[in-house]
Amino acid sequence: MSKRRIPRLLQTPAVVLLLLWMLVPLSMTLYFSFIRYVLNSTRRPEWTTPSISNWRGFGNYEYVLFSARDFWLAVQNSLFIVVCILIFTVILGLALAILVNRTFPGRGIVRVLLISPFFVMPAVNAVLWINMILDPVLGLNGLAVGGINNVIAGLREFPVLGAFFSMWPEFEPVSFRATQTSAYAVIMMVTWQWTPFAVLIFMTSLQSEDEQQKEAAILDGASAWSRFRNLTLPHLARPIAIVVMIQSIFHLSLYAEIEIVSRGNGNKNLPYLIGEFTTNNIGAASAAGIFAVILANIVAIFLLRMVGKSLMD
Amino acid sequence: MAAVAQKSRFGGAFWTVLAWVVALIFFFPIFWMVFTSFKTDADAVKPEHLLFFKPTLDNYLNMTENYDYWRFAINSVITASFATLFALIVGVPCAYAMAFNPSRHTKDVLVWMLSTKMLPAAAVLYPMTFLTKNFLDVFDTHFLVILVLCLINLPIVIWMLFTYFKEIPKEIIEAGKMDGVSTWGEIKDILIPLAWGGMASTALLTFIFCWNEAYWTVRLTTTEAATLSKLIEGNRAPEGLFFGRLSAVSTAAVGPIVILGWFCQKQLVRGLTFGAVK
Repeated sequence: MSKRRIPRLLQTPAVVLLLLWMLVPLSMTLYFSFIRYVLNSTRRPEWTTPSISNWRGFGNYEYVLFSARDFWLAVQNSLFIVVCILIFTVILGLALAILVNRTFPGRGIVRVLLISPFFVMPAVNAVLWINMILDPVLGLNGLAVGGINNVIAGLREFPVLGAFFSMWPEFEPVSFRATQTSAYAVIMMVTWQWTPFAVLIFMTSLQSEDEQQKEAAILDGASAWSRFRNLTLPHLARPIAIVVMIQSIFHLSLYAEIEIVSRGNGNKNLPYLIGEFTTNNIGAASAAGIFAVILANIVAIFLLRMVGKSLMD
Repeated sequence: MAAVAQKSRFGGAFWTVLAWVVALIFFFPIFWMVFTSFKTDADAVKPEHLLFFKPTLDNYLNMTENYDYWRFAINSVITASFATLFALIVGVPCAYAMAFNPSRHTKDVLVWMLSTKMLPAAAVLYPMTFLTKNFLDVFDTHFLVILVLCLINLPIVIWMLFTYFKEIPKEIIEAGKMDGVSTWGEIKDILIPLAWGGMASTALLTFIFCWNEAYWTVRLTTTEAATLSKLIEGNRAPEGLFFGRLSAVSTAAVGPIVILGWFCQKQLVRGLTFGAVK
């Protein structure tokens, strides 16, 4: 009797805490998503309390889906940012993992340098990139473009070359705070931060690759590309899937970077939009939140199934 | 044969150089932040002082004055340490029971725990604000930040510990049981000494995650319990006037963690893939 009870007792605190953490706020969100609930309303003060008499059914969902101005833009942005980051991190991660997965002088230092961006806190990452690096006037971006323009201006003074270079326009640095480009800035900084994560995982996995099989392939005269294509890539299929899923979950809820880069102007993603709704329209925020949960769950179910399978072996 | 060896030696040098160049490119933004932190605010935005300037420590010396750095840093240290501690206190017994006395449901419980981690935080932003502000009255307290950090990291802690504990041969624990050691004795005298390394790296990684957390620590605090994430986010748009001092405070905020991170890069894989990549 007590043999079974003690393990259960030891697990109880963790299970209860996580159960509360998951169920209490989420059920509140679910409830709020079905009622009219706004924080400030002089016209309809009864809507400012979360009471059941303000029942709205699926009205908030309809509002979010069909009349809220930015919902589809936000969904589109969320997906665009996530997909771009995934493509860049996986390709870069694969290339770098293979590059570093050899013995060469200073490998330890290279690994340390390569992995460092991952430990930079997101707020610092965003502030550093958008100001010191990407700022169109004072950042390295602006300085580099200014430098190129100066060089070209200098070249115009030359007798023959000058005629050629005088046809060149003055370059204009790209501003990454603008509506369309801020998503690129976010993609850039998150790719920088998360490529090391992909590298680490691919490298770990490469180390468990079957060396004998590879040597046999070399003896059979298989080219480097076909060895990569037919041996390494299948071996990495699972780590790639895991990198894709974990990153999807993290980046679907990207927030600090979006807020710091553009304060959401034009370039909001779903979490940012929910944050905006939360300043007043709680009903809409909750309905959008439920959509975010659904979106994350689509990815999470695959990931959990995969992790669960590898759990017991 | 000689030609092949020659070619591969040359190729080897090429790939080595390439690896170094790529690594330096990746590290460059961090280097640039540290580099800029030694410039005065005026020098930091002047192209003629891009590379050559008179280094100064003023940005670091004035950090308290400019940003009240230490208040935020102390908050970060307190919240991250206690959250890590509590996560371990709750997590170790749980992972121990799961690793050594698994039941039919253990696997499902573990997967469920992980699923709590996948809930988008934004979805429960208002309920959390409402609960902590109007209902429990703990908004902007250390207690709240510690609790939230502990909860969001608990699944990862349990998973990591579980994978470490599973590496311990079951017979050792069972031998202890035969000798009539109590459960607490098993944990204290057998498990902790054996899994010390695994627990240390779990703690280290959890501390890093807590330190870098930037959603709840920003949303659920104003001044009292605000952490470094909040400090940096509050100074996100200096409009070029304060690049020097902003770099210094950013360096001070991430420096210790980046260095800590170097020591646990191997454990990172386990912590973030939940043992699914070996």
